[in-house]
Amino acid sequence: MQTIIVAEGLTKKYGKFTAVDRISFGIREGECFGFLGPNGAGKTSTVRMIHCVSPVSSGTLVVNGMAAHIDNRLIKKTTGVIPQEINLDNDLTVHENLMVFARFFDIPGGEAKVRIAELLKFVELEAKQNSKIDQLSTGMKRRLLIARALINRPKLIIADEPTTGLDPQARHLIWQRLRQLKNEGVTLILTTQYMEEAQQLCDRIVIMYQGKILKEGIPSRLIEDEIGREVAEIRISSDQDERLIAELSGTTCGHERVGDTLFFYSRDGQNMRHKLNELDLPNAMHRPASLEDVFLKLTGRSLIE
Amino acid sequence: MNLSYRIYYVFFRNLMSYKRFIVPTFIASLVQPLFYLITFGIGMGSYVGLFGGKPYLNFLVPGVLVSAVSLSSSFECLYGTFVKMVHEKLYDSLIATPVSAEDAVAGDIAWAVFRGIVSGTLMMTVAMFMGVFPVSLVSVLLLILLMVFVGILFGSLAMIVTSIAPNFDFFSYYTELILTPMLFFSGVFFPLDKFPPWMKTFAKFLPLTPAVAISRAVFSGVYSRGLIFDFLFIFMLEAAAFYTGVKLMKKRLIK
Repeated sequence: MQTIIVAEGLTKKYGKFTAVDRISFGIREGECFGFLGPNGAGKTSTVRMIHCVSPVSSGTLVVNGMAAHIDNRLIKKTTGVIPQEINLDNDLTVHENLMVFARFFDIPGGEAKVRIAELLKFVELEAKQNSKIDQLSTGMKRRLLIARALINRPKLIIADEPTTGLDPQARHLIWQRLRQLKNEGVTLILTTQYMEEAQQLCDRIVIMYQGKILKEGIPSRLIEDEIGREVAEIRISSDQDERLIAELSGTTCGHERVGDTLFFYSRDGQNMRHKLNELDLPNAMHRPASLEDVFLKLTGRSLIE
Repeated sequence: MNLSYRIYYVFFRNLMSYKRFIVPTFIASLVQPLFYLITFGIGMGSYVGLFGGKPYLNFLVPGVLVSAVSLSSSFECLYGTFVKMVHEKLYDSLIATPVSAEDAVAGDIAWAVFRGIVSGTLMMTVAMFMGVFPVSLVSVLLLILLMVFVGILFGSLAMIVTSIAPNFDFFSYYTELILTPMLFFSGVFFPLDKFPPWMKTFAKFLPLTPAVAISRAVFSGVYSRGLIFDFLFIFMLEAAAFYTGVKLMKKRLIK
């Protein structure tokens, strides 16, 4: 697979504040690449540079063989953007929103009508085409944003936290659609703070924190490397720590105390599970390790503000 | 300046949304100038009597016409653009497409020009009903051309204000302290020749003054050589305002 986006030493500064700090990454054609991180990690700043609405402060960023630059209309022409903020045109209907966007991409009227009909079907909004935006639910608005991002048949789609504020049904519908697009060969860049979303969609991810990339890799392998297979969470007072750590040693590959909880990580779940059953603790549970554990281990479990 | 034909697409977007507001905007852009015409024209006109051999209303109409254009295009680029930029985040979605920030801003200025022409033309029609006509059909066409220049000028000046406006209230400084007082210094309601010299000089450099002078000349078909300088002044000022307005807006939009 060809690498279509290459960043080297990419930096974004707003005045004195450094939002993205000399990061390097490569994104391959046809993959879903995720930027994970807490609020303010620099994810949005990074993708805004990729789709050319924010100038690069320093370093290089090449998209489809072209330098990313705010006046690069060619990159914008082949990119679809699903923004974090719902910025639909409230003065227009659903259909008109798409029509106006089609014009922005030089799509002639007849062709635009055909595409709009297809897209409204794709996001299941045919019945709403003559509604005003304020008559739509948040889920519908987010779906319309997807349809709008697809009007130019983009080869690259950038989805910046596309499911923020959605209920599970709406979220799953959006995941389905994004996966469908990926299967059609579109390259997908996703930013998210939902680990489940990244696990559901991404082939490769980077974890960002304070403008830097902490880790890069395939989600399942990152989990295995950083955490193991299983996690035990034991809610117990900390004076028991020493005893438990001794009891479980040999079956785990790491432990961590956070607040009222003692975490054990294990590469081979069976032995740890067995031991836990033997100990028969009242407030213990074990579960498969997730990306969330990786994320929290790397960025710290304390609240980030 | 990264301008392209896509200015038209932005204009087209505004036209699409306009159809829902057409009636209220027609009324709004008519009422204020209409008040001036009725109160000053008829009320004061009956005291003033003849003005250069013609009723006062004939003096008043050309000035009120350009001021109607200037106000319409100003408001569009103040409130209209601010809402689209800050409240609706429309500019953010625009600049993620091949439409550049410059296209978007210029498209809104073009839209302001259109709104100015609509107001001016409505005004001219009302004046005709009140018995005040431009001297010929050519004059009518020239007046519409003048509206284009006045629209670009005031739309661009308003863009400069919008580019630095922290909030809505900021606009009242511009409208209350600059736009409205300017009406009284630009020869809309009375000739400027009785002003003391310093006031005359001051008035001369206000953007509305030359526009009023040209409008009055075109209405009556009596041209003087000084009008060339009036036109050049408008032209240069609006080129500078357009350039500055677009640049400052781009700076605000792209971070």
